[in-house]
Amino acid sequence: MNLNVVSAITRKDVVDAIRHRYLLTALVTPLFVALLFRVLLPGVNDNKLLTIVVHDAGSSGLVTELRKTPQISVVSADSADATGREVKRIRAIGGLVVPAGFDADLAANKQPELTLYVNNQKTIFEQAAFRRLLDQLVRSFAKQPEPARLVWVDIDKAASDRGLGGTTLNQMLLPLLLILTFGMTGAFVVPLLIVEEKEKRTLDFLLSSPASLSEIIAGKALTGVVYTVLIAGLLLGINRHSIQNWPLTSLTILVGLLFVVGVGLVIGSVLKNTMQVNTWAGLVLILLLAPSFPLVGIIGWFEKAMRIIPTYYLSEALKMSIAGTISSQLWVYLAVLLVCTVIVFFAAVWALHRRN
Amino acid sequence: MRAIEVENLSRAFNGLRAVDDISFAVDAGEIFGFLGHNGAGKTTTIRMLSGQLLPSSGGGRVAGCDIVAEQQRLKPLIGVVSEHQNLYERMSGRENLEFAARLYGIDLQRIDAALKQVDLLDRAQDKVQNYSNGMKQRLLIARSILHGPRIIFLDEPTRGLDPIVGREIRRLIVDMSKQGVTIFLTTHYMDEADQLCDRVAFLSEGRIVALDTPDNLKTAHGQHQVNVTLDNGECVSIALDGADAGKELQQLLSNGQVRTLHSAEATLEDVFVQLAGRRLSE
Repeated sequence: MNLNVVSAITRKDVVDAIRHRYLLTALVTPLFVALLFRVLLPGVNDNKLLTIVVHDAGSSGLVTELRKTPQISVVSADSADATGREVKRIRAIGGLVVPAGFDADLAANKQPELTLYVNNQKTIFEQAAFRRLLDQLVRSFAKQPEPARLVWVDIDKAASDRGLGGTTLNQMLLPLLLILTFGMTGAFVVPLLIVEEKEKRTLDFLLSSPASLSEIIAGKALTGVVYTVLIAGLLLGINRHSIQNWPLTSLTILVGLLFVVGVGLVIGSVLKNTMQVNTWAGLVLILLLAPSFPLVGIIGWFEKAMRIIPTYYLSEALKMSIAGTISSQLWVYLAVLLVCTVIVFFAAVWALHRRN
Repeated sequence: MRAIEVENLSRAFNGLRAVDDISFAVDAGEIFGFLGHNGAGKTTTIRMLSGQLLPSSGGGRVAGCDIVAEQQRLKPLIGVVSEHQNLYERMSGRENLEFAARLYGIDLQRIDAALKQVDLLDRAQDKVQNYSNGMKQRLLIARSILHGPRIIFLDEPTRGLDPIVGREIRRLIVDMSKQGVTIFLTTHYMDEADQLCDRVAFLSEGRIVALDTPDNLKTAHGQHQVNVTLDNGECVSIALDGADAGKELQQLLSNGQVRTLHSAEATLEDVFVQLAGRRLSE
């Protein structure tokens, strides 16, 4: 295989794709959705779930306990008056003013006063989490018994086994966005790159040039890889705080990338023109995306149905690798995905040679 | 020296023979016309000879390379101008040639010379989608000659072009031929073939029905006579093979009765119709 020919085709396609309205739309859609989430759900990308501004006039043990709480970021305020302003400025979930002598008054059962600020710009879920956290913390600090003994039972034990119990909202959204990127590559980008060459008859020129069919296909696949790596890289960069295991996440992305490029090659070799791609790509995209819908893990039959789609394994593997959960289940998912990738590549080679 | 040698070449699609057992040879430096109506098998032949399509049976050598076994070695030695204007429309003319240069692994500095040869140097930065048909055709020719091929396949290079642009393309073809390049040309225009080609082959339903120089074909299949129109409107045909032909003609001319005088030599189109049973445009 002549790598100069492959790189020439990739270079041409990478530049040309930017000028192609459909391709450009397909490429930037995942980024657009990611930015949309950031705007609609501010704070969703923070690794620390809650940022709390605290004015602690007397070095209270309560604040020390607060600082020890996982996924809480404490920011100090100079004065009680400054606390509210700081909450607004740094867009924290809320603020807490602890008066001097708080610990002593509490020990003396004097019911000391705590002033709490709640940022109404945050989502109701975040506000509720903040109120509940403070309530529990104060009770615990005051050594007050719970009014009742609460027994929590996990409904979805499987999710817990997969280590997804502590998954943040962003760790759930990021796989969806990554699979959207992969879906765009598999359903639109790679098929369009191939189909347009057929439609415009430029494939005849390529086939009469020193480029072999395998080099042409490699060039197209590499273009898909370049753009997907670029977009996925940007998504990972935007959400970098959510990723607990970079090597595992990168490996999963690589395997997923190979799979969708293979899917794109199959579609591109079967379909004949842009109109056919536009007609079928939406359906393919939905099929590729479906296993990453939040319904998986909530509705049992839906999850079972999704297991026939290879991107189910990609979605689950992404969730686990992003959350930093290394388990045998993850390797099983990656192995299934690799087998699917090999099958898809064989199908692509068969379809392309059949065409020739 | 032979640039192209073809023996018993056939290609079938779904059992239908598009090219049926054709054999011919083209000398180096020759302009060879391959004429036939739509669907006669011209483009299929070009695709096989240029390494884009494998024959069903038979074979041949182009630029010394076997068209079945040495496709990849053959491709840098030939240039192809497709019947479709298969350019990258969103790219500029120069970008199209840069891409071709990278595929062929040649120096990008040769692009200017190719653009100059087809008179597109000043429009090289424009996007191809803004080019006229004639400009696109010239760019296709520039792309096909960029790597200095020994043989160029031109599939209907003047189809749909206005007469002035057509003449310009024909000039480029003659220029390439003068540089020693072998030209394999398909065209619908018989005048064009007559004017340009050293030899022509007529293709009908996948088979070659005639192959010779245009003059020989016209002579062999035309009538050896002159048609004379007299001042009184009467038309007289004089067979040139006749023993008294010279006397008859001289008599009419000396009487001063001749209004017009035409040879009844067949055109290539007439010969084609005679051999293929229908006109090229049908």
